[in-house]
This record gives sequence, C-alpha cells and structure tokens, in this order.
Amino acid sequence: MSRVMAIGAIRTDWSSSNISVVTRLAAASAVLGVLLIVAALASLSMGPVSIPVSHVASIVLEPIGLDFASYTRTEELVIEQLRLPRIIVGALVGMALGVAGATMQGLFRNPMADPGIIGVSAGGALGAVAAIALGISGIFYQALSVFSFLGAMGAAFLVYGIATVGGRFNMATLLLAGVAVSAFFGAIVSAIMVLVPSNEALREILFWLTGGLDSRSWEHVRLAAPPIIGASTIIFVMSRDLNLLMLGDDEAKSMGVRVGVIRPGLLAAASLITGVAVAVSGTIAFVGLVVPHMLRLVVGPDHRVLIPLSAVGGALFMVIADNIARTVVQPAEFRVGIITAFVGAPFFIFLLIRNKRHTTAF
Amino acid sequence: MRSSLLGAQRLRNITPPSPPPSGGGIQGGGSRWRNHTVTIFLAMTTLLVLAACSSGSGDGSTSAPAASTAPLSTVLNGVPGIVDPTNTGWPRTVEVLNGLVTINAKPERILTVSLGHDEVTYAMVPPGRVVATNGYTKLEQHSNVAHLAGGVGAITLDAEQVVSYRPDLVVASPFTKADFIDALTNVGIPVVQTKLHNGPDGRIQDIILLGYVYGEVDRALALADEVQARYDALKEVTGAKPVGDRQRVLSLTSYSDKIYTAGANSTEGGIIKAADGINVAALAGLEGNPTTSLEGVISMAPEVIFIPQPPDSGEPFREQLLANPALSEVPAIKDGRVYVVPNKFFTTLSFWNLRGAEDLAVLLWPDDFNAGEFTEFSFPK
Repeated sequence: MSRVMAIGAIRTDWSSSNISVVTRLAAASAVLGVLLIVAALASLSMGPVSIPVSHVASIVLEPIGLDFASYTRTEELVIEQLRLPRIIVGALVGMALGVAGATMQGLFRNPMADPGIIGVSAGGALGAVAAIALGISGIFYQALSVFSFLGAMGAAFLVYGIATVGGRFNMATLLLAGVAVSAFFGAIVSAIMVLVPSNEALREILFWLTGGLDSRSWEHVRLAAPPIIGASTIIFVMSRDLNLLMLGDDEAKSMGVRVGVIRPGLLAAASLITGVAVAVSGTIAFVGLVVPHMLRLVVGPDHRVLIPLSAVGGALFMVIADNIARTVVQPAEFRVGIITAFVGAPFFIFLLIRNKRHTTAF
Repeated sequence: MRSSLLGAQRLRNITPPSPPPSGGGIQGGGSRWRNHTVTIFLAMTTLLVLAACSSGSGDGSTSAPAASTAPLSTVLNGVPGIVDPTNTGWPRTVEVLNGLVTINAKPERILTVSLGHDEVTYAMVPPGRVVATNGYTKLEQHSNVAHLAGGVGAITLDAEQVVSYRPDLVVASPFTKADFIDALTNVGIPVVQTKLHNGPDGRIQDIILLGYVYGEVDRALALADEVQARYDALKEVTGAKPVGDRQRVLSLTSYSDKIYTAGANSTEGGIIKAADGINVAALAGLEGNPTTSLEGVISMAPEVIFIPQPPDSGEPFREQLLANPALSEVPAIKDGRVYVVPNKFFTTLSFWNLRGAEDLAVLLWPDDFNAGEFTEFSFPK
C-alpha cells in the first residue's frame, strides 16, 4: 500500500507536473480557505454574549476603515480579547496537528501514524501533568505550556536517540521506541494521578488530558504562532523530499535527497509543532489522524499538496470543533477534545466505508 | 410531653429533599420555598421542644439520663434510613445507599472516607472515637475539623489499609466504589454509605441519621437544633429583603486556566440560596459545577462574585478578573465586589456550609451584620 502511495507521489514531481500541482493546490486551498473564513466569522459571531453579526463585522473590519455599525465597548472587548485569540489559537493548533499528522504518515509510510506514535504527545502530556501535580502551573503564567513543550521535545529526542543508536537510523526501531516511550510516559502520568494528594489537581489533570482552548489569550497566540508557522513552512519546503523518502532510503539518496538530514529534520519539525500545540491546548485526539487522511482521499498523496491543505483543513476542523465546544452548552463549555473525537471518529469511519474500494491510494 | 409528642409527630412529616427544578435558583421557587420554610419551622419547633422536654432521652449511649423512648422513637420515625425507630438499643439497622446495614454495638472506632462525613462525625462524637479520616480532613484550608483530625490516620481507598485501622464502623459517601464497600463488608466491617444533602432540611436528616448510627442521638438533636437556629436567624434578615433588592451572585473558581462555576444543585448554589442571593449560573440553566468561560461570566452579569478557593490561588485569580479589560463592564468587576472566601465553608458538603451562607450574607448585606458576628459550631464536650 505504501509503495502505491509513493508511486502516486512521484508522479506528481515538481518538474514533471508543476501546473497540475499548483492548480490542485490553489483550487483546494481556495475552497478550504473560504470555509475557514466562514467558520471563523461564524465563531466570532457566536457565544454566551449575544453580539449582532453587523457589530462583529464592524469590529473586525474597523482597523481597515470599514465601520458600518455602532457597537459597545463590551462587545469590542469580547471579540478582541476573548473570541479572536481563542479562534486563532484553535486554528494554529489544528494547523499544527494536521501538518504533523501528514508528515508522520508520510515519514512512517503508515496511514495510522500521528504525532502520538513517536511519543511526542505523551511527552507533552507528562510535562503538563508534572507541572500540575507539583503545583508549578499556578506559580507563573505559561508554566503549563513550557513544561508541556519541554516534555514533548524530550520525548522526541529520546525516541530518535534510541532509533539512531549505533549510528544508523532504523524506522522500525523508531516506531517501536515511540510505542515504548508512550507507554512508559503514560504509566508515569497514571502514577502521578494515583499519588497526587490534591483532588483539585487530579481534576485538572483529567481535564487537561482531554484538551481544550478555554481562556486562550493573545499570549498563547504569541507563544504558538512563530514555531507552528515556521516549522510548518519548513516541512512544506521539504515536502518534495518527503515524497521521495517514501520510495525508500536508497532510492531517495539516488535522487539526491540527503536522507540523514531530511528525515531527522522533518521529525524535529513535526515534533516541535506537536509539542507547541499540546502546550497551548492539551492533548487533542483525532485531528492529526483524521484531517490528513480525509484530504488524502480527496487530493491524493502528494505531500506538496497534502501538507499545506492539512494545515488549512486542520485549522478548519479545530475552529468548527471549538465553536461547538463553547456554544452547545453555553455559558458552560465542553472540552474541545471531546468534540473532535465525537465528530472525527464517526466521520472518519464514514469516509473509510465510503471509499473502501479506493483506499489503494493509501 | 404532649408538646414533645406533637412536635415529634410533625417531624415525621419531614420528607427527603427533592432536587430543585432545572435552572430554578431563586426564581420560580416561591411555593417550594414556602413549603420548605414551613417544614423547617415545624422541624425546628419540634427539636427545640424535644431539647427542652426530653433532654437525655438517650439511646443508651451517652451519659445523659435516660428518658422515655417514646418521643425519641417518634422523632426517629421522621428520618429516612432508620428502619425501626422504636429500637434505640443495639444492634440497630439502617437502610442506606448500600442497603440494609446492621450495627451490632455502639461504634468506638469510626472511620469515615469523606470530608463532609468527617465534619458531621466530629461534631457528634468525641475525637477519640475516630480512628482515621479522609486526607483532606487534616488540611486546615479545606477542613473545619482539621484541629481534631491531626492525630489520626489518613486513609486511601485501599481496603486493606482501612482494615489495618481496625474500625468497627466505616462511613462512606455515594462516590465510594462498590467493590471497596464489598471488600470491607466481606471482612466483617459494617459500612454505612450515606449521601450528605446541601439543603437545610436534608442537613438535619443527615445529622440525626448519623447520630443514630453512632449512638449519639441526644448530641445529634442538640446539633440539629443549633444548626436550625442559626439558619433561622440568618433567614430572618436575608429572607426579609425585598425580591428587587436581591443581588446576582456568581461562584467562580479557577485551576490551571479553567474556570468553574456553580449552578443549581451545587453546594455553592445552596449557599447562595440560603443567603438569599440570586444564583446567576442557575438562572443561566447550569447545574452542578461545570466549566465556563470569561465570556460566560460576562453573559451572566453578576453583581457579586465569590471565589471559594485557598488564598494562594484565589487571590491571583481575583486579581486576574479585576485586571481583565474584557470584564470591565461586568457589575461585580466594575464595583470591585469580587471576594476570595474560605473554601472550607463554601465547598464542604456538611452543615458547615451554613457558615458559608453567613459569610456570604455579610458580603451581600453588610449593613445588617457585624463583622465577626458568626462563630464556629459547637463540638461535643
């Protein structure tokens, strides 16, 4: 199956079918981009505080001189300080998870791969849970995010270090090490949950593990945007090499790919954006698995198309999911991780069944 | 004695508290509130008369002089869970959440697994009869009996560890797992699993039922009397306030960036109701303690916000709320009426919630109460 995917990717090499790739990318990006804008505007207009759409539009467009409705100071603050940063953080997290998922699935030539498979999500979760259990999360702002990021990166380097013991990289070792490290970190998280003396801390750990975007602010946007956008761009630049890597190391080398640089580079970039996403939102399931997979069924396996579309598609998925999470039981909230699983799993199964006869593409 | 019998008969009419309607809060609950008031008044009258006329009515377990068991049994007949109100000797049987439980003798080595039960227990038995408590019970910030529980063991929900304390009675909460209860029952330790209520009449029932279980009915009646009297004194002031003067109150706590509120059927909601505030979270249709958002806070427009969590985390959260520009138009923020309150009064599920209601009443109606007016509840001598 992976061989078929690789051949499909090679057929869309830059040099041979540049126009085809650009056309497909532009068309699909336009569709997803419009949907993302519509979803974001809908999210801006919905919430516990009732704000007319005209007021929302006026607040959003006022910086470019379009002001066609008067609005209150409260409405302006709700849009600017609460809804907008939250939607942007959600979009960034979705973008990160989508790109990381597409990258991992390509790197491991495995359609079930996602950022969790090499222990990155488990590492991020361990860092955050440790911060909560030790009481550090309440001491300084962003402590949770910093610890989560450190945990995710630590896990990525640990797994990659195991996979390169002896100086030679081995993909099977990497996957198995990822499974082992995930299980080990998961056991530590469970042990912390058993031993943590405070019921409040335990409740926080449980809530954090389901992922959420509540109380996200411009601080979180500033924390997440540079690494996610930067690393996603790097992955996009390396997407042709990712296509070639799917043929196997020897064939990729023969076609000029510096395998020893590109593979760890892609892994590091995917781990980085996953770690940052986990840091600002907790562990959110299904986005990294479902979004690239759905898009691959539509646009094919070429990573030059798939990577950027996974970014936009992941953002769209998360914005919609978070909008549901924060409005369906308002003024209370669901955790967005619950929504992504509720929405993502049935939809994923539906697509799998519907495309059963065409899944040879992956 | 006629008065006692008459009052006791009235107490029989106390019914188990029914959950308030969804989104009820104060609004729309007028007739129900009047019913509760009547019930509470009758119960209170009965308890006062009983305390005066049948002091030392005794169930064979206190040093008080024994009296006729007739009025006592009649009182006990009004309490759900007591199987045979005429039986004031040992063994005695109660019907609780885990079924029929027979206690063969007056328990001398009591172990309870929840903070709320610990607080009720220490209010009725000498500290020496408690062999271990919930870990929370030992923490000053969370517990109203930490000063009494310091010297005893702290339990986990490991049956063998509990057995190691050699308890002759274990009191469990509705959240205690069935297999834990079965394990203790299988080694011959009676386990009484009861719910603690957050309404005034439910609290009285909790106290009397546990008093019966512990063989401390006299002390239970005295405590119920004390609790009811303080509740009535509070309501005398707050209940007289015109409906239009009642303030919109919101309970908020924050842990790790998440904000929790308290809607209908929550402990904090019961406290707001007792202090005659309007629980805006209940008005918004929320139940229990769900998470909310800053935007949710804006939409509920509270006039008073109280934060029932320890100062080390509550004060920074209060500062964040007051400094957040998005909340600047919220009445409570605008007027600076955001208060960190002792969580041990506001979140524990025992009669100590009444202390929370008293504190909240001072915040809502500062001109009607004196600072420091309210004191601790009594403990057994």
